[in-house]
Amino acid sequence: MLQKRTIGKVLILAVLLLALASGLAIPSCRPAQGIPRGWSGVSVTDGALFLGSMGGKLVAIDKSTQERLWPDVPFKQKQSSSLFSCTQGATAVAIYGTPAVTAELVYITGYNGKMYAINRETGASRWVYPREDELEPIVGGPVAAGGKVYFGGSDGRLYALDAATGDKVWIFESEGKIWGTPAVNGDTVYVGSFDNKLYALNVADGSLKWEFKTEGAIVATPLVYDGTVYFGSFDRYLYALSEIDGSLRWKYQADNWFWSRPLADDGIIYAGSVDGKVHALKAENGEKMVVFDMESPVSSSPILAAGSVIVAVEAGQVYSLEASTGQKKLLVNLEEEIFAPLAAGDGVIYIHSADDVLYAVDAFSGATQWSLELESE
Amino acid sequence: MVGEIWDLIILSPMINVLIVVSGFLFSNFGLSIIVLTIIVRGITMPLTLKQTRSTKALQDLQPKMAELQQKHGKDKQKLAQEQMRMYKESGVNPAGCLLPMLVQLPVWIALFQSIIRVLAVIPEDFLKLSGHLYTSWPQVFSLVPLNSRFLWLDLAVPDRYLMLPILVGGTMWLSQKMVTPRTGDPKQQAQSRMMLWMMPMMFAFITMQFPSGLALYWVVSNVIQIGMQYFMTGGWGGLSTQAADKPAGRDKKYIKRITRVEEKAADYEASESDIGADVSADIGGAKGGASSDRYQAGLRAMKRHSKKSKRPK
Repeated sequence: MLQKRTIGKVLILAVLLLALASGLAIPSCRPAQGIPRGWSGVSVTDGALFLGSMGGKLVAIDKSTQERLWPDVPFKQKQSSSLFSCTQGATAVAIYGTPAVTAELVYITGYNGKMYAINRETGASRWVYPREDELEPIVGGPVAAGGKVYFGGSDGRLYALDAATGDKVWIFESEGKIWGTPAVNGDTVYVGSFDNKLYALNVADGSLKWEFKTEGAIVATPLVYDGTVYFGSFDRYLYALSEIDGSLRWKYQADNWFWSRPLADDGIIYAGSVDGKVHALKAENGEKMVVFDMESPVSSSPILAAGSVIVAVEAGQVYSLEASTGQKKLLVNLEEEIFAPLAAGDGVIYIHSADDVLYAVDAFSGATQWSLELESE
Repeated sequence: MVGEIWDLIILSPMINVLIVVSGFLFSNFGLSIIVLTIIVRGITMPLTLKQTRSTKALQDLQPKMAELQQKHGKDKQKLAQEQMRMYKESGVNPAGCLLPMLVQLPVWIALFQSIIRVLAVIPEDFLKLSGHLYTSWPQVFSLVPLNSRFLWLDLAVPDRYLMLPILVGGTMWLSQKMVTPRTGDPKQQAQSRMMLWMMPMMFAFITMQFPSGLALYWVVSNVIQIGMQYFMTGGWGGLSTQAADKPAGRDKKYIKRITRVEEKAADYEASESDIGADVSADIGGAKGGASSDRYQAGLRAMKRHSKKSKRPK
């Protein structure tokens, strides 16, 4: 009897442990929880769209036919050795940054700690950085300007590479992870870090021009508009700094983090927050004009399309906002989560949803022109 | 719906408390996990004390259990009844040791989910952290993401030096060894050995798969458990080469109960002997044949009657 009881106890404990393993591991098998999947936005050029799929590939699409310009370019992932990890054996690289496109190359960063340069016409690999090994995961996207390409990594470094060869030009080290995409304006590159600081660096050599410390981590890409740098922080403030010396012009408090890049239009700053609101403020003094209640967190950067401010919320709705009237108009409800920044061109909004579908939506009517499941190809 | 309740009642409070405590402890998430462990063990202390006492009492009952085994070894049903009676009378619940572990299971899961969110392991999870932060606690917004470095560990990933799996397995083994009952029965010894090694090895293995922060919780929790057992049972228990015979002051209730049960059992044995002797004397030199059979039947009946009347109500 005692033996049976002991065996029973052992069995119960084994079941408990299995439940533990299931409780911890199975949720991590669900999309967007435990596995990095990415939320690459779309780069729009004259005739093509470039984006990273959730299958870890660079996809190039002809805008008019929706056909692939060349076969998707896959990127390799370091193998996971975790027993309970659902990524065991998987090779998909999460791509969070929107590709940067120049006349010749497409630049794309991977969560596997690599930066790739791909021939825009053929899809052939031109170079990869670093050539061997990997950096810490890269979440922010690349920016190409002035013959260099810039990106930040989870190792806290901002890298400036030669755009043509991938050779390192300079590296700037911050004291926290860099998850945001840098912004380049003239001879200055701006980037925020998890060390709570926004840095303004010389593009030539990466030397520090000025820095501004907030009370929270910075993920949002800064916006430079009319001599002022606008960016949001995890301390729930949107800051406006002088482009020259980084002095504070004004700041505005929301209820939660600012994750996405703000947008400027006609003297008004539109900043989406994960508090589920879009704050429309006067650019010159930060005075609140109107706060749009979006009823869902806003982590996707807003854009201008067809003369309107377009915002997507995490719940999957896309709205057109009008600051003068305070009205928001529902353009389309995709019923799928949206984290990727929006893109637009020729009156069409391009949305990469969390189920890895690319939508083309008419910016005026909200009608879906076409949609493409990226991994079904 | 279940997910929302889970978030509201368990996950969000744990995340915010971890962040705030970390803020008070030099932004050190490792110290924050240790404090959380102490809080959880403090809350579950009544259960743990009950379990420890129960285990100790179970240990003390082992000699009587062995006697019962010898006595009713062939009659399984009877043996089970007698064992249950002894458990009941001594206030021991053999399944009681599972309760503290069951209670901690949600804590483990919530801690795992908290770690991957507050340490910014994966962007999707980190982004969702914003929905868990209390807007009335402004400091939590500024403190995240927390620093994942603690001693030699990156709390977001398994310990690459395998020190934590060894510590988790080692402390769990020590904790279990302290309360493993001593028994002379080889089968039970084998069972005890299996129990003693299986759980620590399983946890050590699991530790190699999960973030170090979770393993840190297990190590600290085990150390607390060892400390509690030390003071509750009056020594190192099964770790000591000389079995800890001296009773711990706080075990009086259980010891009294066990003593009472043993006394009753002793009375009962003595009565049986007396009855046997009296009857033998009465029948004098009657031997063999029908008279002997009648004597045996009568003896059995008297024993049955004696048992019935002596059985505590």
